[in-house]
Amino acid sequence: MTAASVGQGRIRIRVPTARPPVVQGAPAFLLDRPIAGLRIGLRHEGSWRSWMLIVGEWEAFLRRDGALPVVVQTGERVGSEGERTRADVAKWAASVDCGISGLGTCGSCTSWSVHDAVTLERQGRPAIVAVTEEFAKHAGNMARHLGHPDLKLLVLPYPLEGRPEPELREIAALHYPAFLRLLGASGG
Amino acid sequence: MASALSAELVEVDADPEAFYALSLERGWGDGAPLLPPTDERVLALLAATPRPADEILGVLPPRHGVATVELAAINAAMAGVLPAAFPLVIAALEAISAPEFNAFALTTTTSSVFPMLIVNGPSRDELGIDYRAGCLGGAAGRGSMTIGRAVSLALRNVGGQRAGETSRTVFGQPARFGLCFGEWEERSPWPPLAQRRGFRPDQDVVTVHGGKGTFPLADVNNDDARDLAYTIAKCLAFPMNNWYLEPTGGSGQLVLALNPIWAARMGSAFPKLEALQAYLHEHAWQPLGLWRPANQEILRAKGRVDAADRVFLVERPEQLVPIVCGGLGSLHAVALTSFCESEMQSVAAQHREPGAGRARA
Repeated sequence: MTAASVGQGRIRIRVPTARPPVVQGAPAFLLDRPIAGLRIGLRHEGSWRSWMLIVGEWEAFLRRDGALPVVVQTGERVGSEGERTRADVAKWAASVDCGISGLGTCGSCTSWSVHDAVTLERQGRPAIVAVTEEFAKHAGNMARHLGHPDLKLLVLPYPLEGRPEPELREIAALHYPAFLRLLGASGG
Repeated sequence: MASALSAELVEVDADPEAFYALSLERGWGDGAPLLPPTDERVLALLAATPRPADEILGVLPPRHGVATVELAAINAAMAGVLPAAFPLVIAALEAISAPEFNAFALTTTTSSVFPMLIVNGPSRDELGIDYRAGCLGGAAGRGSMTIGRAVSLALRNVGGQRAGETSRTVFGQPARFGLCFGEWEERSPWPPLAQRRGFRPDQDVVTVHGGKGTFPLADVNNDDARDLAYTIAKCLAFPMNNWYLEPTGGSGQLVLALNPIWAARMGSAFPKLEALQAYLHEHAWQPLGLWRPANQEILRAKGRVDAADRVFLVERPEQLVPIVCGGLGSLHAVALTSFCESEMQSVAAQHREPGAGRARA
């Protein structure tokens, strides 16, 4: 009798799935201080107009509150352009005290937004990934798969695109306090 | 019989329906029936490769599952891959695991993209790789149908790719069941794809392309090869092509599958493939005015618009990749459109026995 044949009318088969990797949860960080005087990173891909508008609004709010916004626009992820993107993200992550990476509102853009937030968190800095409601679960899964299950998510309404600019500005203003709270900023 | 296999064993009724039901319950399949991966089947596959069962081929996203040769064999067994064809499954998984293929994004995106496998080499006929009529679906060669499906199953079971869960694909595409086809090298006026990518004619080579779908092209009016190529180029540069969403047109490839009759006509006008690629590139653009203002603004901001207000599809001619396959109807071509953020990868299959699958380790 072979390993594959057991008893009358029964067979043994091999399970085709990989064993789940052991995830060592990397630490997440909080500022625990006011944002005034800090360099705060904002990341976008130069494609979702709604998110770029919100980033623009938050840049103004951060300046108003005494912080220095540092914006990075990512490019492609493969080829020579991919090398440039990786270098830009690494430089950005090393140059800021904390930051937010977005926008997760599609599959790959969520994956890469999480990836770049994790790059920041691996520098020991408070990091957030901005996602829309529809992609929040996916972002959480990707963060866990990258070993950062506690990566903080700022969840925005879905869909963001297709809304008029005044409404997007309202959304930016409404979620700005949550952005600071997730960073762990204390009252100034 | 002692087994060197390490994957978990599960006992199931020998009735084929029982394993099919179990595969559906455990989420191991694509909805269609599978063969039970018994040790006999798995070991027969492993015997066809010089690679040890515990060798790691790569780490497959999105769940970062470790793809061993053994897991590849188990999934290939479920798909019904013949032992002689198993080295091509291994080659495909190695190619997908290359960082520049960008499986991290490709397996999670909302896009329909999926790894499409193009086979070159001497074993195409022996392994049942379709490259003539119906090669993109319908020809029913065992190699094409089972190799493509085995890779799809491995992405599902090892990488954890599942539509609506880890994969956010909106529509998916039929190729997610597996798409594997060959090039009709003997009817190509140019060197086959694998040789252009540095491989020898006696090697079986799998090239993986992140293809968004099969975009059909048809024409019966342009007898002149240049006019035909011009019209094809304009079609490739359709305004909602993924490349126009990208920061640049510098990454990724598009595969242009030409029927042998068109290929011969093109070969007369463009004896060197590079000349055809240059000609396609020269005409693969659209005037900025074709887009509405919101697109125009973004295209300008990304630097995609040249001084003559043209928006080129791609930066370089070699990103447009003609191959020859399909039946002898002289009016069709197919573009395997690009996910763009994925670089085509090619890996040669390693067979244990010369002649088994024909190539050599």
